[in-house]
Amino acid sequence: MELSDILTKDSIIPCAKVTSKRQLLQLLAERAADVAKIDSQSAFETLMSREQLGSTGLGNGIAIPHGKIKGLGHVVAIFARLDQPIEFDAVDDQPVDIAFMLLAPEGSGADHLKALSRVARCLRAEHMVDELRATRDKERLLEVLSTPAEHIAAA
Amino acid sequence: MDVTIYLIILVGTGLVLAAAFTSLIAFRFGAPLLLVFLLIGLVSGVDGLGIDFDNAPVAYFVGSIALAVILFDSGFGTAARSLRQAAAPAVVLSTLGVLLTAGLLGAAAHFILGISWLEGLLLGAIIGSTDAAAVFFLLRTGNVSIRDKVRSTLEIESGSNDPMAIFLTLTLVSAITAGTAAGGGAIATQIALGFLQQMGIGAVLGLGGGWLIVRLTQRLNLDRGLQPIFVLALSLMLFGLAGLAGGSGFLAVYLAGLVAGNQLKSPAALKRFQDGITWLAQIIMFLVLGLFATPSQFPVLALPALALAIILMFFARPLAVTLCLLPFRFPRVETAFTSWVGLRGATSILLALTPLIAGLENGRLLFNVAFLIVMVSLLVQGWTILPLARRLGLVVPPRIGPLAKYEVDLPGSAHHELLAYRVVEESPVVRGTRIPRWARPALVVRDNRSMNYQLAGRPQPGDHVYIFVPSTYPRLLDRLFASRAELTADDVDFFGAFTIDPERPASEMADVYEVELSEEERALSIADLIRARLGGEAEYADRVALGAVELIVREADEDGTITAVGLSVEPSAPRPVPVYLSFGELYDWLRAQVRLRMGAKPANSASTSDDTTPDKDAGSASSGEVKP
Repeated sequence: MELSDILTKDSIIPCAKVTSKRQLLQLLAERAADVAKIDSQSAFETLMSREQLGSTGLGNGIAIPHGKIKGLGHVVAIFARLDQPIEFDAVDDQPVDIAFMLLAPEGSGADHLKALSRVARCLRAEHMVDELRATRDKERLLEVLSTPAEHIAAA
Repeated sequence: MDVTIYLIILVGTGLVLAAAFTSLIAFRFGAPLLLVFLLIGLVSGVDGLGIDFDNAPVAYFVGSIALAVILFDSGFGTAARSLRQAAAPAVVLSTLGVLLTAGLLGAAAHFILGISWLEGLLLGAIIGSTDAAAVFFLLRTGNVSIRDKVRSTLEIESGSNDPMAIFLTLTLVSAITAGTAAGGGAIATQIALGFLQQMGIGAVLGLGGGWLIVRLTQRLNLDRGLQPIFVLALSLMLFGLAGLAGGSGFLAVYLAGLVAGNQLKSPAALKRFQDGITWLAQIIMFLVLGLFATPSQFPVLALPALALAIILMFFARPLAVTLCLLPFRFPRVETAFTSWVGLRGATSILLALTPLIAGLENGRLLFNVAFLIVMVSLLVQGWTILPLARRLGLVVPPRIGPLAKYEVDLPGSAHHELLAYRVVEESPVVRGTRIPRWARPALVVRDNRSMNYQLAGRPQPGDHVYIFVPSTYPRLLDRLFASRAELTADDVDFFGAFTIDPERPASEMADVYEVELSEEERALSIADLIRARLGGEAEYADRVALGAVELIVREADEDGTITAVGLSVEPSAPRPVPVYLSFGELYDWLRAQVRLRMGAKPANSASTSDDTTPDKDAGSASSGEVKP
């Protein structure tokens, strides 16, 4: 699976102005609600409850909030590049400035995990993250994120 | 009489030895080895040393058996993982791709050689398939690792397109011998119906036969030495049976190999035997075909054949490949590379015998042209593939890894491998990283003395360690023993991408990641769940697989209390069934594909381009990071 399969221009927030983890998740949930026609409150609660299990901040300023939603048609992805880094309780205690949210339908076991591992893998490639941080242009962000898996080749 | 037998044996073994011997030289020069085999055949033949072998049916018979052996082996060696990765593009390439290539080349042959349209198409079909032996050999030689997906596609294509080319060729030969009375429409119908019958019967018998081979070898307690013979005989029997039943015997053996290779529990011994027998089959096949040819007839045809070879390499194959790969969104460089690795080989020469056997008027002409095209293809493409792969950036730098890997057939130890490492200076274990218990060496060899792990203490640089490990974990061992990089807490492969709070209830985790747990397990905390699954104490770096996720103990204190847990979402366990055997699976796959197509955005403009001339694409080569 490629990220270009689940991302569109609408699912990219090039310069999110948020000041807390809660606000960020709220913003992501609202955008996801717009894109996928779901209830933003339940999306937000899903993301929050996953954070209870342990922060989805991977380190290096990157977070991948995710969760399952009943009745969703397919995997929904929202990418946000933050204007100012925020506290996210990440493993390395670094503030987060790149967030990639994934919501998957309930019962989509393997699909969800594939998307997750793909995103995690992608955001682990340093040159990729550098490029994401270097631009505020929607098109460019989408282009960088759409690099095929083999070309990132970071395992 | 006696003398003839001795003479044949002497000459025959002499040729095989010569071929085997030249392999030493060919490896040095990176020359296409199979071309060398072919040349030895040519040199020894009627225009060289004077061995007069001109019996087309015998050559075809020997060649067919050899090809069946080679195809079984290429199926046998194809891992389920590659199949999942590349089955779809490879199958399109090996059906539609062969048809397109044959059509394009056929049209060119019609004009260049001045033969009829049907004969042109026949030549196209003869040259239609890529050669499994040549492709495998080139991709595996020279210690170069090409990106997995490209390699898998090419290997599966080269194995599975032979049946298609063989089918097309035989159908066209019989259409031509039947007379030109039949119109184009009738032939097309004949081809379509024949295709369904041949491939249908071949596929059913192949899958069924493969299953039977697995069952029989596992049920019968055969002697180790007999087992490979048993499997080989069964596969050839299947070949004959499928052919008699009106199916494609070649497809049947390939599929049977695929099933057997992936489902047999202890394939190590079999693999070694297969390797040997396949080499022998290749040598014999190329020698016989080389012997059969008459090089003195070549010069007249050199120019038209060269022209056709150029059309094939630079036009027909690239166009066919590009069209076939369009729906799969291969990056441009990979499409280009796939086009270039269209090596023709023994299958084509073998097929070129069929017009001769059928007594077609232009039979000899077709054979000679096909032979020349194969030689050009082997020479030009064979010699340039590795440099090209390097230029296109498709070469993944060699991974760090164990010195040696032994697949061991131990009773009861399914899917464990024995790995031997030389402990690298400054590797994490030398620096004092603790060794997780699943990675403890069974044996440590230091200064030529073998000792057990407890006595050896901390591993020292230069130690050889031998470790039994489940087949999914070796890459983690690479990290511990063979890498200079420090093992840090954010090493995702080792500790999982996400952090999980061990105090939270297991049910929360199970819901998010859809892990099936029993009611009692759901009530536990995550830490208790891990301990329960481990059967007692938890230790640093212990791993527990739960469905498709894996929980890893990041930290545990002295009394086994888990203080930090990682969660890995990398799907590490390969799934056991190699082919889409069930309708349910097929349906899921189709649905996923449809969904993918519907929702796909043309976001990646570079992935599907019509320009595939290989030497133009070097600029867009990607930066490949090292895979650990």
